[in-house]
Amino acid sequence: MREHANGFHVAFVGNPNCGKTTLFNAITGSKLKVANWPGVTVEKKEGTVEFENEKLILIDTPGIYSLSTYTIEEKVTRNCVLDDDIEVIVNVVDASNLERNLYLTLQLLELGKPIVMALNMMDVIEERGMEIDLHRLPEMLCDIPIVPVSAIKKRGLDILLHAIIHHKEAVTLGQVFSYSEELEDKISKLEVIMAAKYPNHSSARWHSIKLLEDDEEVSEEHPVDVSRIVDRSYSRQIIQAKYGYVEEVIRECLFNKSSKEARTDKIDAVLTHPLFGVPCFLIIMALVFLLTFTLGDWIKGFLEIFLEWFQGVVGNLLTFLNAAEWLKGLIVDGIIAGVGGILTFLPNIIILFIALAILEDSGYMSRVAYVMDGIMSKLGLSGKAFLPMVLGFGCTVPAVMATRALETPKDRRRTMLVTPFMSCSARLPIYVLFSGLFFGKFAALVSFSMYVLGILIALLTAFITNLLDREKGKNNLLIELPEYKRPNLRSIRVYVWNKVKDYLTKAGTTIFIASIVVWFALNIGPKGFVNEPVESFAAYLARFIAPVLKPCGLNMWEVVVALFAGVSAKEVVVTSFTVLFSDAVNNMSLLESIQAVYPSFGGANALSLMVFCLLYTPCLATIATIKKESESLKFTIFAMIFQVATAFAFSALVYNIARLYI
Amino acid sequence: MISLWEVEIKKEYTVERILLENNISRRLEALGINEGTPIVALTRKRSGAMIVKIRGTRLALGRHITSNIEVKEVIAV
Repeated sequence: MREHANGFHVAFVGNPNCGKTTLFNAITGSKLKVANWPGVTVEKKEGTVEFENEKLILIDTPGIYSLSTYTIEEKVTRNCVLDDDIEVIVNVVDASNLERNLYLTLQLLELGKPIVMALNMMDVIEERGMEIDLHRLPEMLCDIPIVPVSAIKKRGLDILLHAIIHHKEAVTLGQVFSYSEELEDKISKLEVIMAAKYPNHSSARWHSIKLLEDDEEVSEEHPVDVSRIVDRSYSRQIIQAKYGYVEEVIRECLFNKSSKEARTDKIDAVLTHPLFGVPCFLIIMALVFLLTFTLGDWIKGFLEIFLEWFQGVVGNLLTFLNAAEWLKGLIVDGIIAGVGGILTFLPNIIILFIALAILEDSGYMSRVAYVMDGIMSKLGLSGKAFLPMVLGFGCTVPAVMATRALETPKDRRRTMLVTPFMSCSARLPIYVLFSGLFFGKFAALVSFSMYVLGILIALLTAFITNLLDREKGKNNLLIELPEYKRPNLRSIRVYVWNKVKDYLTKAGTTIFIASIVVWFALNIGPKGFVNEPVESFAAYLARFIAPVLKPCGLNMWEVVVALFAGVSAKEVVVTSFTVLFSDAVNNMSLLESIQAVYPSFGGANALSLMVFCLLYTPCLATIATIKKESESLKFTIFAMIFQVATAFAFSALVYNIARLYI
Repeated sequence: MISLWEVEIKKEYTVERILLENNISRRLEALGINEGTPIVALTRKRSGAMIVKIRGTRLALGRHITSNIEVKEVIAV
């Protein structure tokens, strides 16, 4: 056994949604995102912990149902498990779902690596009055250590770590049970061939079984001529034999199986009802956003009063210190107005994320895939493609990554193309600001309508791409629906805090720098510092482009500056606007200063601007993620051009319609 | 034998045959939908998607899948 100076590697492997990440967080103190739907984790993550003078490097992996490789997550996990560096595999098993989870366990056991089973969710088992025979279970599973834990309640963690350390050198027998005589005969022949060709192979039995299953990757990695033995794929027989054995284990080890029927079916009777399912979803989303805007705006009001006061205090202080006029301008109208302005949107953002966290943690997310499947299949996508779209309400970057759960590269790209139209939280400040300035008591409704418009355009785009597509995909929706559970306060806190931290970091870095850059771009011209931004470099350039936006009612150079700056992060549209028009030094409100320059700028223009911001090129981080996930520069550029064109078309449309009524 | 999509809701059936492309049927088998596995449909939409209960787990399945799994009614003895 090799010694690792910096610790030994332990991989957490298990079915989707069995609590690997929760357990990982509980042990390492990490704050990775957890939620109650299958497929939250899409990348492997590392963390370390010290225990009994040993350093352990824990690796959290995406959940998998089997060690075959049909989706990207499965490939990530399988490669991780097969990696020689991994010394112990911790098989995380959802005890409340033992039967299905043990299927993966049997495959892991065949690898012959040291395995420890973490039997998670024991609290759920107890609550339901089920019982597991913890003596018989390991007997039937090669005598691996089985540690009952509860990741949420942080029970059994030390025992688990102890077991990991003490079993790292244990060799697990590669044979859990016997297949039929015919299969065993073939397996032993293959093992002989493998052993001859790869003498130092650690998991010959597993590889032989995979060869019998006609597994592409294994036959590519270990090219041996076995056509005489593997005359066809024995995959179905092998899977059935495993499940046969699992049934035997369940019969002997699990008691009071269905003594208490879960509440889940009762809730599902309403939420996944054939007729009421879709209206329920729409009502839930409407509630989320109305709460975000009404309650959020109310709290925001107080922060604004504080900000104004703070601007005044700092302004006076700088005057008192005899600071140069330009420095005072930079600090009060540049930095405080820009960054501080962004911070006043925090209440809206926090409420939105609390609501999304509750949706994700309750178990409703998977149901959304089912409920929306009817509509999505008319657009040639499975209901599963709707999950990235819902995540897009939070942030487009993880939403684009979540498309990994989709089966085909084509479906992934189509979903990546429409996901940025789902209005992310960074665009929220734009709606709140402009609808607040121009629509008074209808502000919440106007903001909400942006979300509806975003969804409609996303669906329309999917519809059109489906029309253009000649090879129609089949509707292969396949997703597990977890039990509903009461949202866990800790998970929600972690989720919301992560998002708030991201937002604050962004305010402190990207937005902060962008505000300063925008301020300088507006205050320096060909002749050095300028008196009026109109004479600045930015203004010269922007004035050149502005006429293009005339059909949208946005032919103002300030808007052009804001939109360009907004590509760094969408909130920057707001900061640029405040920096451009903020005139706190002269005690003018934002609305007054905008209308002092553009007397005709009214509701229709504001609406058009919001629509443009909703639809145009997403932020740099999203563009980079689309590039990474699609692995195509051509597709990324196409997506960007498509989004700008859509933004232009729809904001022109909205502007010209709105002008008739406002 | 009928397709899963035609079953009566909340009645127990057993899986007889999976008539799907290799990659999908392997996935279903890995999830525990095998020959002889008991299966109960919980709800069904007009679009053909269904929620079924199998081996203690609920799965949402799309039309293409539900119409290509054959099942047999369990006759109470």
